[in-house]
Amino acid sequence: MVMIGRIRLWIIAASVVSLAALSAVSWLSYRNTKELIAANQRLARAHKMIEDLAALHVLLDGAETSCRDYALSGRAESLKPYEAALAQLDVTMQVLRRDLAADPNRSRQFQELEPVVNARLETMKELVQARSASGLEAAVRVLQSDRGKKLTDEIRQQISIVQTEERNDLLDRERESRERARSTILGVGVTCLLGIVLLLTASLVIVRLNRQSESDHIALQNAERIQRTILNSAAYSMISTDKTGLILTVNAATEKWLQYRGAELAGSSILGLHDAAELHSRGVQLTRAMGMPVGGDYQALVTKAGYGVADDFECTYVRKDGTRFPVSLSVTALRTGGNDLAGYLMIATDLSEQRAIEKMKDEFVSVVSHELRTPLASIKGALGLLVGGVTGPLPPKAGEMAQIALSNSDRLSRLVDDILDLQRIESGRITIDKRLCNVAALMKESSESVRLVAEGEGVTIEVSPCSGSINADQERMVQALINLLGNAIKFSPWGGRIEFAAERTGRSVVFRVEDNGRGIPKDKLETIFERFQQVDASDAREKGGTGLGLAIVRSIVQQHGGRVWAESDLGKGSKFWIQLPLESDSMTTE
Amino acid sequence: MRRTLLVIDDDRDIRQVAKTSLELVGGFHVILADSGQRGLTLAHEARPDAIILDLMMPDLDGRTTLAHLKQTPEMASIPVIMLTAKVQVNRQELVGQGAAGVLVKPFDPMQLPDQVCEILGWRSSRKDKNRSDAE
Repeated sequence: MVMIGRIRLWIIAASVVSLAALSAVSWLSYRNTKELIAANQRLARAHKMIEDLAALHVLLDGAETSCRDYALSGRAESLKPYEAALAQLDVTMQVLRRDLAADPNRSRQFQELEPVVNARLETMKELVQARSASGLEAAVRVLQSDRGKKLTDEIRQQISIVQTEERNDLLDRERESRERARSTILGVGVTCLLGIVLLLTASLVIVRLNRQSESDHIALQNAERIQRTILNSAAYSMISTDKTGLILTVNAATEKWLQYRGAELAGSSILGLHDAAELHSRGVQLTRAMGMPVGGDYQALVTKAGYGVADDFECTYVRKDGTRFPVSLSVTALRTGGNDLAGYLMIATDLSEQRAIEKMKDEFVSVVSHELRTPLASIKGALGLLVGGVTGPLPPKAGEMAQIALSNSDRLSRLVDDILDLQRIESGRITIDKRLCNVAALMKESSESVRLVAEGEGVTIEVSPCSGSINADQERMVQALINLLGNAIKFSPWGGRIEFAAERTGRSVVFRVEDNGRGIPKDKLETIFERFQQVDASDAREKGGTGLGLAIVRSIVQQHGGRVWAESDLGKGSKFWIQLPLESDSMTTE
Repeated sequence: MRRTLLVIDDDRDIRQVAKTSLELVGGFHVILADSGQRGLTLAHEARPDAIILDLMMPDLDGRTTLAHLKQTPEMASIPVIMLTAKVQVNRQELVGQGAAGVLVKPFDPMQLPDQVCEILGWRSSRKDKNRSDAE
């Protein structure tokens, strides 16, 4: 691209330069040609002037000869050339006067010549009159006066001066004309040369551009082929639409999954691939969430993406034969360079397999939970009755053994519950049923649930709730808080005190469970939230924990979009925090 | 007069533990059935004060047995407590189908009678002797 831009710049620059050069040379040629024509005209005039002057000289000589013949012979016919020359002389003088008027110098020379010519004509006239009136002797006297000869010499001399000057001028003009002709030829030559150079350069540039264009075209074709291969190899359905929801392109996965050919889908509405009732329901949901009317049709698919908000959701695709399958759909707005909306890109992942696996998992969990818990129920029940003395008093040693069996069956029972719980929470198979929950009520329910245990351990719980309500699954949040309180009780010394408080901080609500137990080493503050990670490996045995309580807390909190963390001073106590986001629709003040 | 409870569960051990707990700790009179079908017959014959019904049983499962009980006019008024080992049980759904409440296995045999009384809104019939023993 940079290369092509540079070539374009060169072409523009070369065009401007060549245009300027051609203009200059053309103007020079035009001027030279024009001046050449003018010089030629001047040359012609000069030649004519020289000829006219020569003619004047010849006419005067002819007239003079004719007069002399008449003077010697006295025959009237001898005067005929004289009379003819007089008539010619008059015309020639007029022509010369007109031609020489343009040049001041020549005009002045002519003005000097004209009286001499007239004087010479006058002497001829005197000679003719003397011969005709007084005879030969009188004519000879006129001739002997020598005035005519002097005038003739003067005329000859003046004509000669003018002719010489004109000839010199002629030579100068001829030289000037030659120079002009040469410079014109040079100009035309340079123009031709420049033209040839430009032609060659243009040819080279065109060849190079063609080559560049060809290689660009090949690169583009390759890129397009690669892009198409990628699109068609992708395990995603990709559909692009215009602004109104008409399908523009689809990839191979789309064709395969939906059982349509690309040509069948092109130009049709994207709505044909969706469940109408589902879109209607999403439209209602978005109308409520966005606080603006969103239609239950195409708008339900693209409104969020149109506002530049990432929109990933699960929905149903309908195949050509009407069968359906679940997809995870991601809608993105396609924008031009000028940020104008051009259409939408819909990328879908087939969830059929995932759903089938989830169903299998659910069935497995269901079976495992039933098959493990049923025998456990018998063991626990029987041991409980034995230890409770319902079946009669046991010998002390037997009672002790029965108590060990009972507490371990309790532990096993809790472990099974926790494993199943964690699996269900993390797989997202538990629907987090968010409702408006009063913070104080949540804390009361949690603390009440563990109060008896706390009393049994000689631990007091101080509850300091804050006002307000959060949007949460009450049962799950209580479970999380009970787990934190249960831990605090387990690790508090006899007579210990647990602070159970909630505060609103900025855009969140923070629950705090603080004990004055043995504390947690810094390097374990993160890992205690992992499965089966306890501060001390013997805790599970001695404190009856399963090692899953905090993992469950973290999963529940994450499902609510919050976070949980711990702080501790070793030997002084621990603080556990649960922070839940305070979004506009997740918390209200009472 | 002692109240009669019908326990329907396909697991013999569970039946036995429940019977022992409810009789010796709770002071109830307990009759047992090992299947949904047998439970329906016994319920019809003995007209117990309440039924404790296991959810997962072969053939006639708890849910279907509950539906039969609630659809039979003579037995529809007998309160039924569902007993389940499944964690993924929809309590609201079972209550909606006519169950009085749900108990989860494993249960504490010393607490079971009280839990039953609490669900059914009965005054605890726990024997003084057993209470003092438990305490």
